[in-house]
Amino acid sequence: MKFSSIRYLTEQGVENIWKNRMMSFASFCVLLVSLVLVGISILAWQNVSSMIGNVESKNEVIVYLNDNTDQENLNRIEGILRNLPNIASLDFYSKEEAYLALKNRMSDYDVLFESLGDDNPLVDSFRIQIEDISQMSKTISQMESIDGIMNISAPYEFVSFLTQLRTVLTWVMTALIFAMLIVSAVIISNTTKTSVYSRREEIRIMKYVGATNAFIRVPFFIEGMITGFFAGCGALLITWLVYDTVMNILENQATLLNIIGVGSLVTFQQIYLPMTLSYLFGGALIGAAGSAFSTEKYIDA
Amino acid sequence: MVELKDVSVKYSNGVDALDHVSLKINDGDFAFVVGASGAGKSTLIKLLLKEIDATSGKIIVNGYQLNTLKKKEIPALRRTIGIVFQDFRLISSMTVYDNIAFVLRVTDAPVPHIKKRVPYVMNLVGLQEKAKSYPDELSGGEMQRVAIARALVNDPQLLIADEPTGNIDPELSYEIVELLKSINMQGTTVMMVTHEHELVRRFGGRIINITAGQIAFDEIMEGTDNEI
Repeated sequence: MKFSSIRYLTEQGVENIWKNRMMSFASFCVLLVSLVLVGISILAWQNVSSMIGNVESKNEVIVYLNDNTDQENLNRIEGILRNLPNIASLDFYSKEEAYLALKNRMSDYDVLFESLGDDNPLVDSFRIQIEDISQMSKTISQMESIDGIMNISAPYEFVSFLTQLRTVLTWVMTALIFAMLIVSAVIISNTTKTSVYSRREEIRIMKYVGATNAFIRVPFFIEGMITGFFAGCGALLITWLVYDTVMNILENQATLLNIIGVGSLVTFQQIYLPMTLSYLFGGALIGAAGSAFSTEKYIDA
Repeated sequence: MVELKDVSVKYSNGVDALDHVSLKINDGDFAFVVGASGAGKSTLIKLLLKEIDATSGKIIVNGYQLNTLKKKEIPALRRTIGIVFQDFRLISSMTVYDNIAFVLRVTDAPVPHIKKRVPYVMNLVGLQEKAKSYPDELSGGEMQRVAIARALVNDPQLLIADEPTGNIDPELSYEIVELLKSINMQGTTVMMVTHEHELVRRFGGRIINITAGQIAFDEIMEGTDNEI
């Protein structure tokens, strides 16, 4: 195909948007709403996932050592623990530190501590954070086999709840995003088909005068691509406004932020580039593909 | 050149649209194809444009063997044929100029050629003043002349006119046939399908009558115009 033909077909595609402005506007709106819905669903999932991740990172397993563990054994146990897989961090917490912390926490019960005299009933411990909480049971079994450990305290139920919550949410959000993508594809396809149907006579005439399928399809393709690109721009703008508004509201909710964790929210700045690229390329691609596939029926007729 | 050898077309509903038809229209001929509604005229046009396939028989159009023609070769065949319809079939969103130029753009013609050729054919059909008009701003006769210009612009070997006078006044009909005759005089093969016997009687020439899917007669007759 010559450059002049490509230029002509591109011009035709652009002109067609204006000539068929009602149908173009309908396609634009459908694509815009679909992209916004899918985009916001993905963002919601990212945030929920980030929140769960934040809560997960606060998990703490406490490994209590036998009473009066000497330095040599302590080093040995620490070495084994550090070499275990799935350990994010490990801190030693001496029985003196533990006693002091307990005393501070229970300052109203001085009598109780006085009765103990110089005796410290607490033991040394390691405070451990687990990398992947879904593997917590396995890691704890490995810890239990270490000689010199008295007891292990782990938030089993909480971890189990978080793991289940993440699994359920992942499935629900994936299903939701797929459902929205399918619904969007069907609506876009039908809108484009209606647009193409209204121009079937034009396509027929093109066929009679010897137009190749590519020649007929290119203007529709360009039309769909441009409409999709602008729908992507619009969707990006709407998503940004909605997202920023929601973020501003959340930032003023101190209590809520304490629960979900200040740093767990994904800011728009963090995802600006992938979001922009996904919306613009996604919009252009869906628009172009929708138009190209919808012309098939009339081209082959 | 158009050649049909023992061609039959049977539709899926069992109707025999064409029944063992043999026909030859040589390069430079002008032929009227007449017949009642449902006689098989439209089927003949569809066959020549490779819109449908023959059930049996052999068809050659402008050197293309239609029986063995691949789908991707159909555009090349159609570029050798100009077609004019009763209902004009112009693209309403395009100007007269663009409706005609469009055919050349389809064939990847160079822009300078388009700029030279389109005004030439517009002048040939007497529409040079209407270049920027849209189809709905034209009369029936003018629209048909645009359709003829569009069919001619690519310099086709064969021009098929399917009831080109069906939607216009009788006086304008004569003008259209005269225009087609003058195009034929310049070497283009013309096949005009019509059911207007008066028109055929007046102009005369080769007349192919299709009745019930068969060639009832294929004769050359003198026109009443010639008698006058």
